[in-house]
Amino acid sequence: MTTLLIKRGRIVDPASRRDMAGDILVADGKIKKIAKRITESADEVIDAKGLIVAPGLVDLHVHLREPGREDKETIETGSKAAIAGGVTSVVAMPNTNPVADNQSVIEYVLATSKKLDLINVFPAGAVTKGEGGQTLSEMRELKLAGAVAVTDDGADVADRGLLKKAMEYAKTHDLLMMAHGENAAITDGGAMHEGWVSTRLGLPGIPDLAEDLAVRANVMLAKSTGARLHLAHLSTADAVAALAEAKRAGFKNITGEVAVQHAALTDEECEGYNTNAKMYPPLRSRDRVRAVVKAIKSGAVDALATDHAPHIEPEKLQPFVDAARGTVGLETSFAAMYTYLVKPKHLTLAQGLALMTYKPAAIIRKNKGTLAVGADADIAIFDIKKEWTVDPAKFQSKGKNSVFAGKRLTGKAVHTIVAGKVKMRSGTVL
Amino acid sequence: MADSHESDLIDLRAGRDASFFDLLSIDQLTKKDLGLIFDLARGFKKAKTAKLSLCKGRSQVNAFFESSTRTMASFDLAAKNLSMDTTSIGSASSSTKKGESFLDTVETLGAYNVRVVVIRSAESGVPEMVSSHVGASVVNAGDGWHEHPTQGLLDALTMLDHFGTKDLSGRVIAVVGDIMHSRVFGSLVRIAKKLGATVRVAAPETLIPASVESFGVTRYHDVEEALKGADVVYALRVQEERGAKGFIPTLREYSKSFGISQIRFALAKPGAILMHPGPVIRDIDVHSALVSRHPQSRILEQVENGMAVRKAVLWLLSERYDGKKKSYTNL
Repeated sequence: MTTLLIKRGRIVDPASRRDMAGDILVADGKIKKIAKRITESADEVIDAKGLIVAPGLVDLHVHLREPGREDKETIETGSKAAIAGGVTSVVAMPNTNPVADNQSVIEYVLATSKKLDLINVFPAGAVTKGEGGQTLSEMRELKLAGAVAVTDDGADVADRGLLKKAMEYAKTHDLLMMAHGENAAITDGGAMHEGWVSTRLGLPGIPDLAEDLAVRANVMLAKSTGARLHLAHLSTADAVAALAEAKRAGFKNITGEVAVQHAALTDEECEGYNTNAKMYPPLRSRDRVRAVVKAIKSGAVDALATDHAPHIEPEKLQPFVDAARGTVGLETSFAAMYTYLVKPKHLTLAQGLALMTYKPAAIIRKNKGTLAVGADADIAIFDIKKEWTVDPAKFQSKGKNSVFAGKRLTGKAVHTIVAGKVKMRSGTVL
Repeated sequence: MADSHESDLIDLRAGRDASFFDLLSIDQLTKKDLGLIFDLARGFKKAKTAKLSLCKGRSQVNAFFESSTRTMASFDLAAKNLSMDTTSIGSASSSTKKGESFLDTVETLGAYNVRVVVIRSAESGVPEMVSSHVGASVVNAGDGWHEHPTQGLLDALTMLDHFGTKDLSGRVIAVVGDIMHSRVFGSLVRIAKKLGATVRVAAPETLIPASVESFGVTRYHDVEEALKGADVVYALRVQEERGAKGFIPTLREYSKSFGISQIRFALAKPGAILMHPGPVIRDIDVHSALVSRHPQSRILEQVENGMAVRKAVLWLLSERYDGKKKSYTNL
């Protein structure tokens, strides 16, 4: 029996409504004991004095790129990036090459991550074959292979007849659908949020409507079919309103996430044609960001994710309209949440952590994101006093395309533990 | 003769320098910069096409990633007039079409070690991206839907010289046509507002960008309302492909609803001038009889002023009296 003792930390576990100074004893990968003071000896001791001891973060939206685009990221580098950010579980998006529209890719991702033994990787499968939006993938096979959800992320299923059938079929097999809310005909080559900044920069805009129409359509179909629907990366006032309304009307089958950057930054990040600020949904104007933050505060939003999307440098060193969409996020998500939501007192630390731990875990029905006795010992230990400047050159991720590059953030993971094993000690990924 | 023009121009410049190293946007220009550029442009107009040696020994690359005839000819002639060596990278021959990464194109432009790089690109922001990575002074010769600063300068010079004033306060400029996709509008609206003008835009809603009012302009869907009392009628080209993309049903309908006819032009102030950046689609943007032969048309003068403004900018950027160097980072 291997044991680990985390001493003198401030234990914040929103799932157990715990916020106390104390010690945690881990044995054989599980939380064994939590108390003000634990005197038992352990194989390994971490002194967490002055630090926050939290459940390892659960990120529902991560692009690990493997198989196929190992130049952008691998399961290994993505997992190490997660560890560096205190993230211990991720949902891996299926838009790999080949697309995860069959059990082999799901099995490959699971086997590779198991062999690496770094973090928990929960793969998502594709809704349609090749994410082509034409024919349904074999969702039951995907589920049996271990897929926790299906999504055509990167695109919506534009054919609403097929989307309806996809939801009915997913419901048949009790499989979660994740929706990338984008009406591509409205996006129509748009490169950033449509508004004063896009007009000033002369860049084609993406109106809110591109997201609103797609989110509303997905929500209506989920209401009608009863399928479990998770709305990915919401960024507009109407999109979060659609989620809030569904919740108020009692639709427990509908959940939604916000990517941290959409609650933190505005379209002004695109100034100077900064392609690291190019993503979908686009960073929105300040009033939209306010609406999204308000929705998060109100409890309408179930999770904060990253939409970690690594790209290689030549894909970003392009004219803005041609540059790849996406920002990395695994190594900055806690800090961004803490800096932009907790420090300005929009959320308490516990509320912010809830959105990044047990709440997202519940959406994929995994018993993760808690420090309850008996739970898997996935633990992240944060220094919330640490101020640092984001330097992508120091990232574990192959993707250096961070919209937070150069920003001063507060809060950083110091130690990360997965299944009782220390994966990062004092800021060094082992 | 050339010598006297040269000494006149040197006197006119009086040791002054621009506040900028790259000309990317009208936003960069101070009142002083505008005064300096206009002073010199007027001097260059006097010198006509006399060969001057003001920039002798300097060289310029015209990197036109999007095809252009007029603007490239204008920049090239202007540089040659100043005795600069020039070479051009045309869109057909540009390596980006051959699969070279954008990054390598930028590095290559930097490695030429020339004094000036003139860039035209189909995408907004390319001159700005390149400018921060090369030592040469970058001149934006039109980027995407963003800006075309020398066009804005020549437009302003044309108006100022017509009105014989130092600024455009109290003047009403009605801009008609494809506002959304127009870099000409991007620079025109910025310089017109800097000089105190009132700007109206008239177009179908599909061709007006979001939040255009934030430029300080008023939007009109009725072109005749927009033209009433205008001092300047500025028509923009509407391209055929906008019809194919659904911005307008047909050029025919556009011409009927927004084209500048004689009757419509007569709604503007008596003595109002007509401007267009070219190329004009006759009888679509502007009625053919108004284009070049109408006494109030300034379209050919715009072309002439373009050359003068470009000479002024190229001289200022390639020869600095203050010895200051631009800062940039290698990729």
